[in-house]
Amino acid sequence: MIEVKPILNLRGAEVSYGSRMVVRGVDLSLSPGEIYALLGPNGAGKSTLVQAICGRLKLTGGKVSLDDKDPWSTPSCRRLLGLVPQEIALYDHMTVRENLEVFGRLSGVKGPALQAAVSTAMGLTRVVDREHVPIRHLSGGYQRRVNIAAAILHQPRLLILDEPTVGVDLDAREAVDAVIRDLRDTGVAVLIVTHDLEQADGLADRVGFLREGKKVMEGPPRTLIKEAFGEDMEILVQLSEEAGVDDEALMLSAGLQRRGRTQLWSMLDAGGYATAGRIDSLLRQAGLAPREIRVREPSLQNLFSLVADWRRAA
Amino acid sequence: MILAMFRVMLLAMLRDRGAMAMTFLLPPLVFVIFATVFAGASGDDVRLKLAIVDVARTPASGRLEAALLADQNLRAVRVSPATADQVRKRVRAGKSDAGLVIQADPGAAEAPFLIISDPTRAIALPLTQGRVQAAMARHLPDVMLAKTLDQAAPVVGPLSLRQQSRATAALTGLREDALAGKVPADQPQTFKVEDISQTHKGRGTIAYYAGAVTILFALFSAMNAAMSLIEERQAGVSDRILAGASGMGPVVNGKFLFLLLQGCLQAASIFLVAQIFYGVPVQAHFVPWLITSLTAAICAGGLALGVVALSRTREQAQMFSTFLILVLAAVGGSMVPRFLMPPWLQSLGWFTPHAWAIEAYHSILWRDAPLTSLYPAWGVLTGIGLGGLLIAHISTRLLRR
Repeated sequence: MIEVKPILNLRGAEVSYGSRMVVRGVDLSLSPGEIYALLGPNGAGKSTLVQAICGRLKLTGGKVSLDDKDPWSTPSCRRLLGLVPQEIALYDHMTVRENLEVFGRLSGVKGPALQAAVSTAMGLTRVVDREHVPIRHLSGGYQRRVNIAAAILHQPRLLILDEPTVGVDLDAREAVDAVIRDLRDTGVAVLIVTHDLEQADGLADRVGFLREGKKVMEGPPRTLIKEAFGEDMEILVQLSEEAGVDDEALMLSAGLQRRGRTQLWSMLDAGGYATAGRIDSLLRQAGLAPREIRVREPSLQNLFSLVADWRRAA
Repeated sequence: MILAMFRVMLLAMLRDRGAMAMTFLLPPLVFVIFATVFAGASGDDVRLKLAIVDVARTPASGRLEAALLADQNLRAVRVSPATADQVRKRVRAGKSDAGLVIQADPGAAEAPFLIISDPTRAIALPLTQGRVQAAMARHLPDVMLAKTLDQAAPVVGPLSLRQQSRATAALTGLREDALAGKVPADQPQTFKVEDISQTHKGRGTIAYYAGAVTILFALFSAMNAAMSLIEERQAGVSDRILAGASGMGPVVNGKFLFLLLQGCLQAASIFLVAQIFYGVPVQAHFVPWLITSLTAAICAGGLALGVVALSRTREQAQMFSTFLILVLAAVGGSMVPRFLMPPWLQSLGWFTPHAWAIEAYHSILWRDAPLTSLYPAWGVLTGIGLGGLLIAHISTRLLRR
């Protein structure tokens, strides 16, 4: 088997602002044709890490390399990456094509190659039918896809997407996900920074959790989930009415945890459907009719909660 | 890359008709208003509203009152009832710019005239004095001569009989001529007036305000357009560009190039109006005018980019640029001609681009100054602009961190 050389390499990356260390010894490598989702709560150091990868910030320790070159000291290597900011970073008074022509030129694409690059990017992101529509007249989903198109005109080998589906509906998200998969299939290495765990679960080949600047977990989502939860299944109980003090005690004694301030309770248990049946009986005996009981495999959301719990415990 | 950003700026303007109107229609309009207001107030067209009352009621005072009422350079009215208080009332009410009370015979030795003046129209006082002096000289030469003789007598001694007889004859002749409407032929002139404008009296003021409005709006529009630097930062466009290899250099240069074009076109729109409607000879001095417009645009563009690049938010940039535009315009002479300012403020004006731009335009279009005299202004304007551009480059480079 041929080993593919990573395009992005971070070794013991550290960033400090004065005495405050915001990134602590992070290792990360990303190969062409791979999607990596960087996850973590706010303030975990994700944005700082991305800034370091983009060469906008000098590491205070460790190394970052894009195709073996340091993006801070060798700005020319930044041609290898494309950044899709969280905002719709486009000129809204200009059409899709006009925007792409501008960003193509700013990425160093010129002449006939520019028109070809624009057409290719529009094709890949499926916005050809809106070519001459000003950005301000596009739906959120289209805007998100043009936002991606503007970052791939110079055919980057590493594409960094910061919250690429924030604020879009399910259909639009699926369309964006399809674009990202297509890009991965063309050999682009994709780094997604997201809070959308469902998206990361369905899209990423590998995920990495950052907590307080430190990478605490990394691997394929399914493998991580399996490692963390084994054969456990997630049981979700939706109550139809507000639980009283006694009802809450009953739920807790059954091993259920309340999710925030909702009437949704959940637990992880290897018993799966059998446990769900036992809980159903218990609740009905106590006069609490659940609206819904679901049994499903644990997700990244559970893993994220686990990481957050560690953080709280720490 | 630079042209890409130039195109962004151009399309932003072309697709915002309101902004385009503000950029190219408002400046000529403001210029026409300034030109009309200030050129009219340059002195030669001022017709003072003067309220007159003759309480002395002597033949000479009656002649003076009649002369002033007939003066085409005044809008004089006789008040009724004919009292000094009535004159005061008119002036206080703003119905007249000044009031004249002829309280004794014009030939009287001690203050025959009382001028009622409004401090808010201070210029009316010397103008009234001048018109009264002129009327006395023109229509009451006999009274003037008699007064002079009376003043001379204590110095040169009493006149001989022969001299008295000749003086009486001269006074009679002058009085008769004046009453007949004849202007004294051999009246000695104290002042000769030479007008450097030759034929077009208001053109100097027009040229002045064309320059003043040009630099004012060049800076105003440039600041407005340069705000896109902040908008791009907030929209993530800067992040996208900074992640690439080119950095913000082409972005700043592209914007600067656009601001140069915008500044030159704006100057052209103002001076086109000046040439067509006021006969300011722009075409005859096209090359120096173009260089001045270009250097003014360099100055405005660079300064605007520098100021905006140093600001963190749009609000900050707007506050700072508004303050800067107003202060520079006021001190630099875009609002009021600098020669009317106190000397220290006139000196301070040289620290503003406005003073240099106005001076350059005025020199070209009014004084026909040689090109060499324009070099300092061109140098200062270009220097300020390139300084601002450098600040913008340094500041956007620091953004990387």
